[in-house]
Amino acid sequence: MTQTRLLIIDDDPDYVDGIKSILEKADYEVDVAYNPKDGFKALETGKYDLLLLDIMMGRGAEGVMVARKINKDPVLRETPVLIITGVREQIAFLFPGQPVHPRFLPTDELLEKPVDPNLLLEKVEALLKEAKAKKAE
Amino acid sequence: MAAKPTFSQEISNLLYASKGNPLKTCIQCGTCSGTCPVAEFMDQTPRRLIGMINANLKEDVLACNTYWFCASCYHCTARCPSKIDIAEVMYAVKRYSIWHKTYSEDLVGPTFSETFVRTIVNSGRSFEPVLAPTYMFSMGIKEVLQEAYMGTQMMLKGRMPVLPTKIKRLDNFKEMIRRIIPVGGGK
Repeated sequence: MTQTRLLIIDDDPDYVDGIKSILEKADYEVDVAYNPKDGFKALETGKYDLLLLDIMMGRGAEGVMVARKINKDPVLRETPVLIITGVREQIAFLFPGQPVHPRFLPTDELLEKPVDPNLLLEKVEALLKEAKAKKAE
Repeated sequence: MAAKPTFSQEISNLLYASKGNPLKTCIQCGTCSGTCPVAEFMDQTPRRLIGMINANLKEDVLACNTYWFCASCYHCTARCPSKIDIAEVMYAVKRYSIWHKTYSEDLVGPTFSETFVRTIVNSGRSFEPVLAPTYMFSMGIKEVLQEAYMGTQMMLKGRMPVLPTKIKRLDNFKEMIRRIIPVGGGK
């Protein structure tokens, strides 16, 4: 069986280093794009099984734009998306007590930064399994 | 697989959707610094800040007050011969500083921005009596009294509402905001 390939789109290199090493230890092949533009281009090649997406990038919430673009594309929307964001912590958009947008995409899951490594792996595995079951249908 | 970005690339990533040229095209002519109305209050001029970003001097860039003092008048952007969107660069460094929490606690800018965005999202309008306390207490007692006097006068003359006003069709506006920022509660 070929290795499962994941793509991370996140603009924070130090944070990426962290989650990348967690995922690589769990035997995933991980690619990184540090801005939404490169990320979307990489995703379009279609060789990824799962996308880990940050929200606050570029000029603001550009992760949301990426998520929307993916959702519009009939092929790309098959890719499961795990959103990892510290959005509530980002000061300009801090609205205590309000829930984070529950669903950006039909297939997504949302994790808040800082992420617990075990929880991250759990969610990634669950999403991949779900996607596989869907494909098999 | 992309290599780990340098500080200047990180700032470029924060700018990628803006219309200006990349920072690397800066010729260090100093037009931005010469034209900047608040350059005298900055500890590094805009020209130097761009040079420092290009040289990846992350700590020095984040420690200076230049980007917080930027008045967003866009004179530098309009006059830059290399067509760099310098005011947007200032915003990018601000975002970097806020997202990475590298600003000092006593700084007015971040709290002010937060309160401003919050009042806009809640009512569609900015409301000075709510905004003023975010920066007022960093000033001297004389300035605070002056500000309070000015506020009262403006209220008496009907130039400033006593209670916060709301825009018409606020729900539509809030829905619009929810489409842009993931603030939660959206459909």
